[in-house]
Amino acid sequence: MFYSTRSKLIASFLGVSILVGAVSLFIGGQLLYKAVLSEAMHRVSFDLNAAREIYLARIKAIRTPLSITALGFGFLSALKGQDAPELVNRLRRLAEKVELDFAGIVTKEGKTLCRIGPNSIPREMAQIANPLANLVLERRVAISGTVILSKEFLSAEDPELAERARIQLLPTPRAAPRAEKEETSGMALAAAIPVLEEGEIFGVIYGGVLLNRSTTIVDTARDTVFQHEVYKGRSIGTATIFFEDLRISTNVMTPEGKRAIGTRVSKEVKEHVLTKGKKWTDRAFVVSDWYITAYEPIEDIFGERMGMLYVGVLEAKYADMRRKALTVLVLIIVAGMALAIGLGYLLADKIMRPVRRLIEVSQQVVGGSLTPDIGPISKGEIGVLQNTFKEMVAAMGRRSEAAQNRLLQSEKQASIGRLAAGVAHEINNPLTGVLTYTHMLLRRKDIADDIRSDLQTIAQSTERVRRIVKGLLDFSRQTRLDREPTDVNRLVRSTISVMENQALVKGLSMKFNPGENLPMLTLDRGQFQSVLLNIIINALDATEPGGDITVSTGISLSASDPGKKGVEIAIADTGCGIPPEHLDKLFDPFFSTKEVGQGTGLGLAVSYGIVQRHGGTIRVQSEVDRGSTFTIWLPVEEQAEEHEDTGG
Amino acid sequence: MKILVVDDEQVVLNSCKRVLEAEGFEVCLVPSAEKALEALEREGFGLLLIDVKMPEHDGLYFIQEVKKRWPAIPMIVMSGYDTAETIEEAARVGAAVFIAKPFTPDELVGTVCQVVSKEESHETDESPGHR
Repeated sequence: MFYSTRSKLIASFLGVSILVGAVSLFIGGQLLYKAVLSEAMHRVSFDLNAAREIYLARIKAIRTPLSITALGFGFLSALKGQDAPELVNRLRRLAEKVELDFAGIVTKEGKTLCRIGPNSIPREMAQIANPLANLVLERRVAISGTVILSKEFLSAEDPELAERARIQLLPTPRAAPRAEKEETSGMALAAAIPVLEEGEIFGVIYGGVLLNRSTTIVDTARDTVFQHEVYKGRSIGTATIFFEDLRISTNVMTPEGKRAIGTRVSKEVKEHVLTKGKKWTDRAFVVSDWYITAYEPIEDIFGERMGMLYVGVLEAKYADMRRKALTVLVLIIVAGMALAIGLGYLLADKIMRPVRRLIEVSQQVVGGSLTPDIGPISKGEIGVLQNTFKEMVAAMGRRSEAAQNRLLQSEKQASIGRLAAGVAHEINNPLTGVLTYTHMLLRRKDIADDIRSDLQTIAQSTERVRRIVKGLLDFSRQTRLDREPTDVNRLVRSTISVMENQALVKGLSMKFNPGENLPMLTLDRGQFQSVLLNIIINALDATEPGGDITVSTGISLSASDPGKKGVEIAIADTGCGIPPEHLDKLFDPFFSTKEVGQGTGLGLAVSYGIVQRHGGTIRVQSEVDRGSTFTIWLPVEEQAEEHEDTGG
Repeated sequence: MKILVVDDEQVVLNSCKRVLEAEGFEVCLVPSAEKALEALEREGFGLLLIDVKMPEHDGLYFIQEVKKRWPAIPMIVMSGYDTAETIEEAARVGAAVFIAKPFTPDELVGTVCQVVSKEESHETDESPGHR
């Protein structure tokens, strides 16, 4: 069953669909996914640019109002007059509008004059260093950007800010180890503007927002860039601001659904971005999930890498896309396999039906039927096979018919041979008596002439009987073939030369067309010559003066056994021809059309036996009044004497 | 010379007797191989003329017996069934000369004379039936 054509066909189809399926699975699962991922990374990289713009815009939104305030009417004079309450008022209004977490004014000596916090006008002179103001006083230009603020500074500005800045470090998988338990410094966006008049600094106005626990920038970035895209109840896009490797402002959620403030970045990202200062675009493990991420370093106003800006999209979305695509692919493959099995089944059936029919028919032929019904002929190779089979069976039929005819002829000859032998023996004894006494009588001198004449007639008739019986015996006896290599053309030529005189006397022309390159045959020359003589004599007898007898030789294939090579000798005359009703009796013993006393009727029968014992055939074509052609075919191979004993 | 003719056909026996006596031979006729052996035991013969195909013991058997017991007597084998096999077989068991039936008186006499003259040219004295 497994080796049937159907199984093979189905297996081939299955193989193809599995191969195609495996390739598409690989392409879909790996290559396409990689392309999608790289596209996603590209996008995230752009998203990071957008997030940076938002980040920078926020800085600008601090700096510009501060500058305007510094240039505001009465501001300089209030500063000159150290009018702290007035300045605090102005700052508070500004802070309210611009949403500043802290703001203040520092004198040109670096002392804090006032601030918007609870301790708005500090009295004691021991003050916390203000990194912003100090930098402005040092450089005498306005500055803005990211700045790290100490716990003391924040406490001085507003204890609440210091509290907001304090962040517990949460244990995070894959993060680089850190000794401290909490972060107390704050990271802020801030600006500081020198208040100038004619090149002289009178003070510095500063302000900023604390990034720790702030949601504004990250959520704005998320909402702007990812536009509230949600996947399974979670925001696809996330943005984070890191203070060093610590998440201080983020919308990445912990599994519990809280902002993952206090968690840290993975070690490898930290090294890549913070230490080396490079941009990171790749898959990364963020808090508890894989994201497609982009990180870039944030430098503070001193040019130090103090933090990172991050955006990322959940990889789960893409993984899910892949899973869906793979599922569809697998479904298609399964459908393809089902189709392959179905198609293979149907096709095999279609192909195998005529083949099965041929098998059945072959069995019929084996069983003996030579006229099987092959059924409708298909198109293509199967059709060719069917037609060939048909021809083969027909050829087998013809051949078996020919073989049967030959067998019949052999049997006929054999039984007649046995009969002839018996008859000959029986006749020869009385014939001895007749011959003896007739001749003894003829020896006598005292008999009358008329009696002598009668006795001579008896003797002659008896001689004839003797010849007939001799012919019978010649026919019946299967003498051993005395074979030797023979040049057929030479044998034919010598036979013709024997008969040429007779032909001349009768007024016939005899021609010989020898074939070229004939192989040597091993023949009994004597017996074979008698066959040729016999047929040529018949031809001479059958042809009227003026006619032709043409003998030709050549190489030819057997008529009854195609593919067997042999030599053909054709003896054609232009004589009276043989009536069709005589054709099948031609080789029967004692069949003769000659007048009584002219032939024994054994010549062709004996010839047939001789040729048959050489493994050859004689066939006759004849048309009444047009002539006859006797064709002797002798095989080139098969010179074994296997036909020797047939017909004995 | 005395010739023993062995044949189951009376007409053949008579024919041989007629022809050979006319030539001056003494002829003894027997219808079977058994009778021929009896005759051979009884008296000597200069030549045997034997038919190969006879009922009961056939000629070939008879020739073998003669060859064994009277090896000096020459034999002529006659047969109406002159196949190559018959001739070969006869030659093999010892009969050198073969004559096919039917034969004319001249053919028979010629064959007999040929064998007799051959015998005489060889060793004539030992032949027991010789006269």
